[in-house]
Amino acid sequence: MPKRRDILAIVLIVLPWTLLITVWHQSAIAPLLAIRKADDGTETRHETGPATDSKEYCSQDKDIVEVVRTEYVYTRPPPWSDVLPTIHVITPTYSRPVQKAELTRLANTFLHVPNLHWILVEDSQRRTPLVMRLLRETGLNYTHLNVETPRNYKLRGDTRDPRIPRGTMQRNLALRWLRETFNSNSSQTGIVYFADDDNTYSLELFEEMRSTRKVSVWPVAFVGGLRYESPKVNAAGKVYGWKTVFDPHRPFAIDMAGFAINLRLILFKPQAYFKLRGVKGGYQESSLLRELVTLSDLEPKAANCTKSLFS
Amino acid sequence: MRMRLKLKTVFVLYFTVSLLGLIYALMQLDQQISQLRGELQKLQEHIKTSELAKKTDVPRIYVITPTYARLVQKAELTRLSHTFLHVPHLHWIVVEDAPQPTLLVTDFLAASGLTYTHLHQLTPKDRKLQEGDPSWLKPRGAEQRNEGLRWLREMGAAAEGKEAAALEEAVVYFADDDNTYSLQLFEEMRYTYRVSVWPVGLVGGMKFERPVVEDGKVVRFHTGWRPNRPFPMDMAGFAVSLRFILTTPQARFDGDAQMGFLESSFLQHLVTMDDLEPKADLCTKVLVWHTRTEKPKMKREDALQKQGLGSDPDVEV
Repeated sequence: MPKRRDILAIVLIVLPWTLLITVWHQSAIAPLLAIRKADDGTETRHETGPATDSKEYCSQDKDIVEVVRTEYVYTRPPPWSDVLPTIHVITPTYSRPVQKAELTRLANTFLHVPNLHWILVEDSQRRTPLVMRLLRETGLNYTHLNVETPRNYKLRGDTRDPRIPRGTMQRNLALRWLRETFNSNSSQTGIVYFADDDNTYSLELFEEMRSTRKVSVWPVAFVGGLRYESPKVNAAGKVYGWKTVFDPHRPFAIDMAGFAINLRLILFKPQAYFKLRGVKGGYQESSLLRELVTLSDLEPKAANCTKSLFS
Repeated sequence: MRMRLKLKTVFVLYFTVSLLGLIYALMQLDQQISQLRGELQKLQEHIKTSELAKKTDVPRIYVITPTYARLVQKAELTRLSHTFLHVPHLHWIVVEDAPQPTLLVTDFLAASGLTYTHLHQLTPKDRKLQEGDPSWLKPRGAEQRNEGLRWLREMGAAAEGKEAAALEEAVVYFADDDNTYSLQLFEEMRYTYRVSVWPVGLVGGMKFERPVVEDGKVVRFHTGWRPNRPFPMDMAGFAVSLRFILTTPQARFDGDAQMGFLESSFLQHLVTMDDLEPKADLCTKVLVWHTRTEKPKMKREDALQKQGLGSDPDVEV
């Protein structure tokens, strides 16, 4: 008799706990899944505060998976794939009359590219409402940052006296954000691409760059006073020089939009940034690339650099 | 006896604690359920709108784009196509200023994934801008747009049954290949009875030009230049219903029109200012920008070509 009572007592003790644990398990796992997806960069958006010297930024609502894209009715990026590497596109931008138009048509192109994460960095003191609204309405996966180039460093109207090449501080901030967000030990696959807001990109370009192992390169049209500039590729498929007119003896005589870097390389070399001062015209790209790769490590794309995918 | 009492209180305590825990867990579940419900609603909306693309009774938009060969042509058409690919039920009519269709445009359109019609119409020499002429000297694209209209009228005459019914609802828009279009613009113009209008950004030396609307009607135009034109608007600022074009065969663009009067030369056959339908929140939103593309500097290319070392012409740019 006592045995049965004991059994009953044990059952009564265990039952509520199992119920509790099951319910807890359910409600705990779901937000965990969301956080994991957030690290992959799916549906969440991170918004960072102003100055470069402040290390803090607040990330909003990491654990709520918001399907923001449905708010803007007719556009949606392709579904996020678990196997494709994410392309992190870094775009510096600044206020001027055509800004909204340029960002609009850029967004229209990006909406066709799967697994694209747009890092838009404004050259401003504060994130402007115009850009905030535009980013929200596109439905793209984005990160909105800002850093103001100090007035005495800004390009003064004419390009004959460049102090800091335009966009440098913004691109560096984006690189810093990537390094702070992604752990170099994680298995994050990603590609980093610098896309200015006034250029045109073909969709094939993004697929070509997805397979970048270290740094990939390709021809760029309408740059350097030529129909196109391109790397010189030998029969073994290795880059050995540059087909440009403007200073082909630069270590990397390539335009900002003519190369893409594997995220792992960026994380692996945390000191590599674009040089801010004392950079000769046209050497900006070299200032970053020479800290990351050598000429022989470059991977030529676009049919061994014979097709022009970008201008 | 004392022991049993202790055990009872222990049990009572235990059951209260676990009961509270259960209630808390149920509240969490409740929160989750409302979250999921919200997501479900959004997804349902999403499905509804993606079904818009599959619906067949949505008015078609015919976009007529004149184009001509120059260095940036492929780049312009490429980014234009990226925008058009997002618009359901869009039919792109590309009219080349050429004696015959060029390979570049033919291949491009075939690979674009869009529904298109590829036409061509050469501008007569005396109407063509010469190298070095300012862009405003002669109206551009008139012959090509008229060719697009001609094709539409030909198709309209031959159509019957369901196709003819679909054409009754369709809208025609003239989109130049260097402007920037937001996706919302096309949904604004889709339901046009006669001629609908809206603001255009960055045109005529202004931040924007637009029709001024009072009591739901257009009363005048906000523009910086020659506001006394019959229709002081840019080509990108209006759309016309196809039905209207088919029933007004004399409506065409006058290639000899004075500077800035090209749009008026077409619209005055179709409508008066009173009948214009204002869109884009009664013409208060800018959904299209008259962007212009800088001509790329080819100094070094020209210098190299003189030496016979120009860029490989086999690479299509």
